[in-house]
Amino acid sequence: MKKDLLAAFFILLAAAVLLSGTRIQSVEEYYLTHVDDITAESETVFISIRCDTIRQNYDKLDKELREGDYLPADGVILPATEVVLRPGDTVFDQLDRVARANRIPMEYQGADENGFGSVYIQGIQYLYEYSCGPLSGWMYRVNGEFPGYGCSRYVLEDGDVVEWVYTCDLGRDIGSQEIEGGGGTS
Amino acid sequence: MKRLRAIFGFWLALCLCLSPLAAAEGGGASYTAADYRSAAEDILRWKKAENSAGGELLSGSLLAKAGTTAADWYAIGLGRWGFADDYEAYRAMLEQAVSSRYAESGGLSPVKATEWHRIILALLAAGGDPTAAAREGEGKTIDLVADGTYNRGKTASLGRQGLNGWIWALIALDAMRYPVPDGAYNTREDMIGEILRRQLADGGFALTGQEADPDMTAMAVQALAPYCDDEKGITFTELEGRETVKTVKTAVDEALSCLSALQEDTGDYASWGTRNVESTAQVAIALCCLGIDPLTDSRFIKNGRTVVDGVMLYRQADGGFAHSYTADPENPDAQPGVSNSMAGEQVLCALNALWRQREGLRTLYDFLPEAGEGGEVSAAFTDADRETIRELDGKANTDDYPTVVALLDKLSRTADFEGKEDCLARLRNLKDRIDGIQREIDDINALVLVRLYPFEQLSLGDKPLLDGLIRRHDALDATDQRKIDRWEDVLRAKAQVDSQWRALLIGATLTLLGAMCLLLLIRRVRRRRTQKRRAMDELAARCEDEE
Repeated sequence: MKKDLLAAFFILLAAAVLLSGTRIQSVEEYYLTHVDDITAESETVFISIRCDTIRQNYDKLDKELREGDYLPADGVILPATEVVLRPGDTVFDQLDRVARANRIPMEYQGADENGFGSVYIQGIQYLYEYSCGPLSGWMYRVNGEFPGYGCSRYVLEDGDVVEWVYTCDLGRDIGSQEIEGGGGTS
Repeated sequence: MKRLRAIFGFWLALCLCLSPLAAAEGGGASYTAADYRSAAEDILRWKKAENSAGGELLSGSLLAKAGTTAADWYAIGLGRWGFADDYEAYRAMLEQAVSSRYAESGGLSPVKATEWHRIILALLAAGGDPTAAAREGEGKTIDLVADGTYNRGKTASLGRQGLNGWIWALIALDAMRYPVPDGAYNTREDMIGEILRRQLADGGFALTGQEADPDMTAMAVQALAPYCDDEKGITFTELEGRETVKTVKTAVDEALSCLSALQEDTGDYASWGTRNVESTAQVAIALCCLGIDPLTDSRFIKNGRTVVDGVMLYRQADGGFAHSYTADPENPDAQPGVSNSMAGEQVLCALNALWRQREGLRTLYDFLPEAGEGGEVSAAFTDADRETIRELDGKANTDDYPTVVALLDKLSRTADFEGKEDCLARLRNLKDRIDGIQREIDDINALVLVRLYPFEQLSLGDKPLLDGLIRRHDALDATDQRKIDRWEDVLRAKAQVDSQWRALLIGATLTLLGAMCLLLLIRRVRRRRTQKRRAMDELAARCEDEE
């Protein structure tokens, strides 16, 4: 009788433990599904997407964007988010990943589709170049400075802070003295 | 006698050395049409090597990018030079790109009118007709000139992207002196007025600010050049709101003074602080458009250097041209002192403008035929072409699209021959198949974007979706598979859902086993109880017997 009770007890215990959500995975699967987990040893970067300059230039904003509900009132499309940095990640890789994960619509021109040879971000969250006047478009800062080159060429390092910012004045309203595209025809 | 000969020889040599200097009246090196031509051939050789294509530039990956800024300006420059190349293939690809984009979104770009303008020029350079660029379906042709220039305003203002929209609309319109019909949204006068009102106080033009930029000023001059002889002034409203009348000639003269002042003593131009070849090339083109000889006009010779000397400063040993010699914060994609693609395409056009001036031909953007030109290009379908079809029949993928499109176009211009219908049918079949593959790729990409993220929300219910995606991906060619974006995300989602599924299976199996064990246990316990009872009964019976 005791033996029976003991056996029953162990069976129930084993079932309870296993059903409580233990996952059996191969090493490869484990890596794949946990690649974006932030641990103490992970290399990470911070990324944010903002369009505050729209507020000062509301009159220049496209009618459809003004009427629709697409843009956040506070200008924050994505608040500063810590994301795992995979080896070789460029600013573009990070933007693409973060846009997909947060379901933010993003449109870009491939590196082989323009004369500069690097990816060009055309629109984020339905906000495109020229959506707010002829001097408007997306620019990015890394650690407070504007690299200016195609985002698919800037390779990130651990701890970098990436900010995607919408400008309505070729960068001058967001602290850049520099202007996109020297000597290029469209 | 010997001494006299020596003296004579010395003076002769000296005169020969000095004569090139004497020939250039304004100073600076003199260039012949042949010089321009060989420099252009060098650029093409450099670009072909970079494109790793064989004999023709309009092939391979460059051809595949017809309709984008990665390829169009090279096609325009090449077409204006007229070097032998596969213009028909390029034209066919452009028409295909136009058809696809119109079919997908009703136009070429929601924001940039210059997409139309560039493609209009590229089509003309490749021998096409921008007013009948493709068939939209139901036999309706696409008129890029109407949609992109005089009627663009019906959809979005030509000025939406700033000054460039007006400049290039005018250049595209004047490329073949297209007439503007009554009732058009913008007339030529409107466009000229919009350009003039943006002229700065210093006579120049810029995208923003009050200081002239040589590129924008030069391009504005290129657009205004055909109107310099008009005596009639253009009325326009200045940016401050005041109405003014000005002749184009006055405006252009002001712009030329501005450009003259901006020239560096090395002959070249700087834009936003960096001396570069593109700005210099644009000025050279502007001067040629006006019929001004850059080698002799003293306004454009500084310290003995002409604009052409300025351009040649950037020529590299490999035949290409560098963007600049110092790191340019405005264009950090371009390495200083290294041949650059954008520099190459602009210099290619500038060299052509200069060559045309030397040869007495029409200017760079004047696409009207020279006397004695014209006629459709007929083609001959070769055995090699037939072999290509045979090879593709088995295994065509999206990379083969330009070949198929080009062959179809070639066949349509070939006189009838035996087997032509069969070839046509097979090619159309191939094109349909590749169109289908492209749709499949786009479908998979769209599905991934909409359903896969965020990973935390994936559950067992998504297993059929993932299995479906993987099945469709594996059915594609390796080349096509590479066009699926972020495939690793799908594999990750599958791993996640698979382990959830596995956990469920194991849990279910173990629960089943556990239940079975419990049942067996219960049976054993019951059996023992009945056994015990039986034993007790037997014992009781035996006791009764004994009594």
